[in-house]
Amino acid sequence: MRKIRVSTGVALALLFGILLLIAVVPLLPTYDPYGQNLSASLLPPGGVSFDGRMYLLGTDTLGRDMVSRLALAGQVSLFIGFSAVIVSLVIGVALGLLAGFFRGWVENVIMGIADLQLSIPRVLLLIAVAAILGSGVFKLAILLGLTSWVAYGRVARAMALSLREREFVLSATTQGATATWNIRKHLLPNVLPQMLIVGSYELGQIIVLESALSYLGLGVQPPLPSWGLMVSEGQTYLELDPWLSVLPSIALFMLVAGVQIYSQTFTSENDMSAEVVKAS
Amino acid sequence: MSSMDQNQPPTSASPEPVLSVRDLVIEVPSEQGMTRLVDGATFDVFPHEVFGLVGESGSGKSMTMLAVMGLLPAPVQLTSGKVILRGQSLTDLSFEQMRKVRGKSMSMVFQDPMTSLNPVLRVGSQIAETVRLHNPAMSKAEVRARAIELLGLVNIPDPERRYQQYPNEFSGGMRQRVMIAIAMANDPDLLIADEPTTALDVTIQAQVMKVLARVRAKTGAAMVLITHDLGLVAETANRVAVMYGGRMMERAPVDPIFAQPRHPYTVGLISSLPRLDRNVGELYSIPGQVPNLAKRPPGCVFHPRCALSDGRSPCREQLPEFRQVGADHRSACHFAEEVAEWSRKTAVVLSGDVAHGSDRKEPATKAPVLRIEQLSKDFAIRRRKGWGHDHLKAVRAVSLSLASGRTLGLVGESGCGKSTLGRLILRLIDPTEGKIWLMDADITTMKPSRLRPKRKELQVVFQDPYASLDPRMTVHEVIAEPLRINGRYNAARVNELLQHVGLSPEVAGRRPPEFSGGQRQRIAIARALALGPDVMILDEAVSALDVSIQAQVINLLKSLQRELGLSYLFISHDLSVVHHISDDVAVMYLGKLIEFGSRDQVFGSPAHPYTQALLSAIPAPDPARARSSERIVLSGDMPNPLSPPSGCAFRTRCLKATEKCAQLEPELVERTGPAHLSACHYADESGVEQTSRRKVGAS
Repeated sequence: MRKIRVSTGVALALLFGILLLIAVVPLLPTYDPYGQNLSASLLPPGGVSFDGRMYLLGTDTLGRDMVSRLALAGQVSLFIGFSAVIVSLVIGVALGLLAGFFRGWVENVIMGIADLQLSIPRVLLLIAVAAILGSGVFKLAILLGLTSWVAYGRVARAMALSLREREFVLSATTQGATATWNIRKHLLPNVLPQMLIVGSYELGQIIVLESALSYLGLGVQPPLPSWGLMVSEGQTYLELDPWLSVLPSIALFMLVAGVQIYSQTFTSENDMSAEVVKAS
Repeated sequence: MSSMDQNQPPTSASPEPVLSVRDLVIEVPSEQGMTRLVDGATFDVFPHEVFGLVGESGSGKSMTMLAVMGLLPAPVQLTSGKVILRGQSLTDLSFEQMRKVRGKSMSMVFQDPMTSLNPVLRVGSQIAETVRLHNPAMSKAEVRARAIELLGLVNIPDPERRYQQYPNEFSGGMRQRVMIAIAMANDPDLLIADEPTTALDVTIQAQVMKVLARVRAKTGAAMVLITHDLGLVAETANRVAVMYGGRMMERAPVDPIFAQPRHPYTVGLISSLPRLDRNVGELYSIPGQVPNLAKRPPGCVFHPRCALSDGRSPCREQLPEFRQVGADHRSACHFAEEVAEWSRKTAVVLSGDVAHGSDRKEPATKAPVLRIEQLSKDFAIRRRKGWGHDHLKAVRAVSLSLASGRTLGLVGESGCGKSTLGRLILRLIDPTEGKIWLMDADITTMKPSRLRPKRKELQVVFQDPYASLDPRMTVHEVIAEPLRINGRYNAARVNELLQHVGLSPEVAGRRPPEFSGGQRQRIAIARALALGPDVMILDEAVSALDVSIQAQVINLLKSLQRELGLSYLFISHDLSVVHHISDDVAVMYLGKLIEFGSRDQVFGSPAHPYTQALLSAIPAPDPARARSSERIVLSGDMPNPLSPPSGCAFRTRCLKATEKCAQLEPELVERTGPAHLSACHYADESGVEQTSRRKVGAS
């Protein structure tokens, strides 16, 4: 039986809370993210409407149930986050490995594009593109994915640079391995765990970014909720009813912090280089 | 300087030891409770003497001395035992009190000179810092003068100018001398040198050891020399302790340790060393692996590998006492009295040559399996300042051939281009000029698609057993890989290969990180054998292994060669190993081949002054012989390969160099005997430097 560290416990508790919200709430009979009840608007958590219904986390300006809206917003955020991470991971790993393994002009071109992309602020780029193409959940996921491959690409390239000189790759080459073989059998399996670590960091970032865009009105469009959008909608009532902005912020914090802390544990447990050192 | 001075027994009549270590126990917390790294180390170091602490990796030798310095890395802890320096018990001191002792009464020199100096501080100020720490009253000018004096003491030319420089302007050997200067800054009573020359080339090692002897002669400091190199101990130490698995195995003055060892581990260690002065067909090798300290065997820690124990019950059950077996001679063996008889009886040969005539092959008559002609490689190095590139000539017009079934040893110090040559032959990098023939095919410019099927004839084993296996694959997958690449996968073949290299097929499911260095190297050899190659390039294949494991792998390589008719290109910096395994030997210096001949020619009558210096620089594991021989200590470092000297590249360090050497580059031709090539204008003049000890008995 392995001992679970405190930080891992905290992370798991945070993630468990969020997953409970996202996965279980939609199954409840009271789940209704769109249903308006103007007579019961702006109820605080635990507030009871005139018709005697209790709202666990209160209601928003239109009297919609906050629990339901937070749950749906979580689904939207997670969908966007995971799709964007997968898109960017695939692009980043592919380009990074090609650049690191082949060097030469391939590397120059790929890393040139990466530098170019980094030189344009991502939020600015996203605002511009979203303003032109319009927004939507799928477009947002793809856009966020396309603009965040550089983190994976750089790490993958750096690792490929060192892996291609490692003796196990050289000896595969002397046994007649092609470049494709080496990339698939040696580089990819050794790079992938690191990429998942980068991915778990990026997931938090992407969700925050999505919230920021939604906050600016360029992301998820109402009536579909998103945590960022909810913060923005609640802003006007900050003094009257701070829960409208605070609750989605807490949800966002729980998810991002949980993912980040857990990724640290994942890092220390899956670092092969550390294992090699231990063995020696 | 003759090594005579260094080996003088302690003349001081004072029996009071400088350092006394008693029953030291060092532990580290682990998943199964506490793991003992050192279990009961006990010894004294007397004034002016050199005390050698010898052992393989994991023996606890470095931990012992770190504990003495009070520098054990957390969570490692000193559980019990006493450390007494000049009558003062160090184990009771607070950290602050200990700080005053370190660098003042005792100091330490570490292994890696590349990381022990701070790269952003000037060398001079790093020495001055140590001086100032313990002499706060000294004025700035005095501190500076002292630091410059120290630089001079360790033979750094032009100390005034060097004082101002940064560590990156110093070579490895010079940095280690700076470390010695820092260690000696406050005239300590005790100097602890932890593998001080392991990271250095053998000719630089000779320089550093000479400097160490000089500063010790001047200050009278005692020294503890921690090393795995038995030759270095034989040459330098007065008294020696041998450690194994965290315990002391044997402790005695240096002569009896080598002449009449009283512990089977010491016997095994000495006999498993390949030596220049001996021709043996097969090295003695201690069976088994270095023990895992977490699962230390009960009784004597060495018994699972001990041939003398032979499974007797005291060895398995009782912890042997570290008892007196002679004058100042202790051994932790239940049967210490039987060691002498046993080592005589078994194949363990401690002295004299054993002629293995059958093992030596006839000179090459068959066609070469591998031939290179005028092979060169230039690397373009971008200039740090300004535009353009410099050309680093890593390999310069090297021609060699390797005959079927033979071993060609390629020796040289780091940076001489020997590994680059290996990679050129493997076509991992492309040559600038020249030709490579494998069997009868010219592979120099072959396209990758045509080359790929040819590659199975030429395989390689690299140095680092940790980097050469993909940590994500199982052993089965590692060995199966070459078969899969070539579409010949066959699970039975993988098991057969494992057995070939002396591993049980049951290990196939485990991953490389679970194996020790020696086992990994066996796996790497199995992988190289998978395609049934004719030629193997062994690039420092045994250099990273412990002595006892190295002997096992060398024996394995030799027996595989006999069974499978392999030809080896054996690249190594270790001349003793090359002497043991090679039929022919080629010596490289600064990218050029400077000598080539049969093993007996090169080792018996080296023609090139560089070869002579190399051979002379190797410490022999024989204290009597070490004392009676003169050593050639080359001055200076290998020149910068970006701007090699004109004429003969070696002339800047050569004793014979004349005007002619600067103007005319000597060609590699027959000068001293048939088929014995050398590149020195004065090769045929009988070298005065040639020493008596290097008369290798040709069998």
